[in-house]
Amino acid sequence: MTDDLTPDRIQDPDVSSSELDDVIHANKDLYDKLNQLPEIEALQAIDEEEEKKTEEKEKPYPFADAFSKLAAIYTENELVRYAAWALLLILISTSALTMIEYDMFKASVTDHVGDTFFFGGDEANWLDTFFHTFWWSIVTFTTVGYGDVSPVTHIGKFLTIIIMLLNFGVVTLLGGAVASVLVAQRLTGDETLDETKYNGHLVIAGWNSYVPSILKLIDANRDSTDIIILVNEMDQDIIQRAIAGFERLDITHIPENFTQEPVLQKAFLDKAGTFMILPDSSGLLPHEEPDEDKTVLTCLTAKSISEACNVIAHVLNPENISHLQRANANEIVIPDEHVPHLLAKHVTDPGVPQFFDDLILKEEKDKGLQEVKIPRSLNGQSHNKISAFYKFKYNWLLVGYAIRKAGFSLDEQMGESGSPLIRNMIKEQLEGAGVNLTSDEHVIVEINPPDDYTIDDKHSALVLR
Amino acid sequence: MNPTAEQIQKINHFSKVPKNMCAKIASVVEIQDCKPKDSLLTEGDTGDTMVLVFQGQVEVSKNMMVKTASGIATSRKPIIRLETTDPPPGSDPITEPTVFVVEAPAFGIGEFSLVLDDAIRTAHVHATTPVKYGILTLDDFSNIVKDNPEIGGSVYFEVAKSAVQNLATASADISNLTQAFFFALTR
Repeated sequence: MTDDLTPDRIQDPDVSSSELDDVIHANKDLYDKLNQLPEIEALQAIDEEEEKKTEEKEKPYPFADAFSKLAAIYTENELVRYAAWALLLILISTSALTMIEYDMFKASVTDHVGDTFFFGGDEANWLDTFFHTFWWSIVTFTTVGYGDVSPVTHIGKFLTIIIMLLNFGVVTLLGGAVASVLVAQRLTGDETLDETKYNGHLVIAGWNSYVPSILKLIDANRDSTDIIILVNEMDQDIIQRAIAGFERLDITHIPENFTQEPVLQKAFLDKAGTFMILPDSSGLLPHEEPDEDKTVLTCLTAKSISEACNVIAHVLNPENISHLQRANANEIVIPDEHVPHLLAKHVTDPGVPQFFDDLILKEEKDKGLQEVKIPRSLNGQSHNKISAFYKFKYNWLLVGYAIRKAGFSLDEQMGESGSPLIRNMIKEQLEGAGVNLTSDEHVIVEINPPDDYTIDDKHSALVLR
Repeated sequence: MNPTAEQIQKINHFSKVPKNMCAKIASVVEIQDCKPKDSLLTEGDTGDTMVLVFQGQVEVSKNMMVKTASGIATSRKPIIRLETTDPPPGSDPITEPTVFVVEAPAFGIGEFSLVLDDAIRTAHVHATTPVKYGILTLDDFSNIVKDNPEIGGSVYFEVAKSAVQNLATASADISNLTQAFFFALTR
């Protein structure tokens, strides 16, 4: 059917206005019918409910929030925990000694302060006494021990003995915590990453001039992950300058060699959603080319850590493509492969390269070509209905689909056929030779399919917004 | 001692043979005993005898060239175990089965020898429990069939059925091996 639609016929201006009206009305009818589908109504209801829930969640409870944050800091940070205990002990001892030895501390304040400022004006009041006792507590706790003031009553001395013994333990622990933080920082070179935060995040190995632009585009797309780990040996100051100013992204930098397995594990690669390997210019002079063997090696290391990890590798030298395919990279990006096409199109179809430029280079927030999930209730519908759904509901142009193709599994493919002996032998021998029995899930695209093309849950829509 | 006609009829290949004919087959078969680990058939040998197992468990295995830690070596891989249920084996097997155990009242092995006089044994068979078995030779069976042609049909049908099943399995094995071969080449 589509074979007849040669460009000449499409450009035929002889289309009556009544024909156009028919097409538009047909689409409107289709849209109305789509809206009458109970699934869509249900879907809209779910959307509204979710929006309400999000709004409710966003309502601030400042005290509860602050308390939970403080509690989290207290449980997670050893240093804060011991410091809190020390402060509490100081306050308790100050309060207790102020009450028990009030007269002595009050007299001591008058002796020490002389004619200078009193909180109580002419003579020392309870605040002066409390502050003086607090001074004694700090002097005792820090083991400085000036000896300018000390308890005189038996009960005061007894309490001081208990406080000093407790203080001995708390100060020791506090000192140990400070030392361990300093040692840990020296060993790791940076703070330990909070593991709970990292799931489905993006890890970018390598640094070059493309990275800030990549981050900018990811920052602009609100549907994509906001947790990013950069692994490269670039100077920390340069990285900090480059990543400053992203309002949505939470970026962490690991300044180490990304070809090493422990470094990638530190970036929680086993939980990462995507792992991007770029030609690494960190530590190179301007005329030096990045070493692309590192890209292949890193891909192999990444796949040995997590076979399921989605690896996107960018290569400059096309000779490395076959190596990366063998290393099981999910997607390989070769930047120059589009250049001949674009140059030729300037001659054959002027306007097309400009269209690509506008589409790709001038992409704005929530505008441009984007991949969106298709509502589950539309699974099993034909392309023309999905197309109408996006056109009339959001005014987006559906240009095609991204389809997640399941990886090939030799085990599944063999199933129960043949003799178990041969199947087991195949599995044992291939595994023994280090050949993985499954290939990864990958994405293919279907552009402008026929109207009756049916979609399933593996499809997501590519729309022009 | 000869087996009874009932014992012969319990074997799948002879299940449709009338009892009086089974008695004729039984008359040419001698029940023998063997100990665990004793070999009943050897892979690669030619033979014109079918082994009828009346009681016990046997393991069928094949020699395979496999890659091991010390290089390429021939290893005997078990395929299946066969066990009688009527009567069941007199004792537990000497080793725990690592493969599927197929149970039948009684069973015959090396059935292709009833068709070919120099059939090549395609697998090893050895006892894993004490086994009571009998040997039916091609000559004896051919003589019985010559005198009683009606036996031939049902017995040869069962032999043909197992040959066809083997062929289907072999075909699937070739398909699996071809897939694995290409899969390994493209990795």
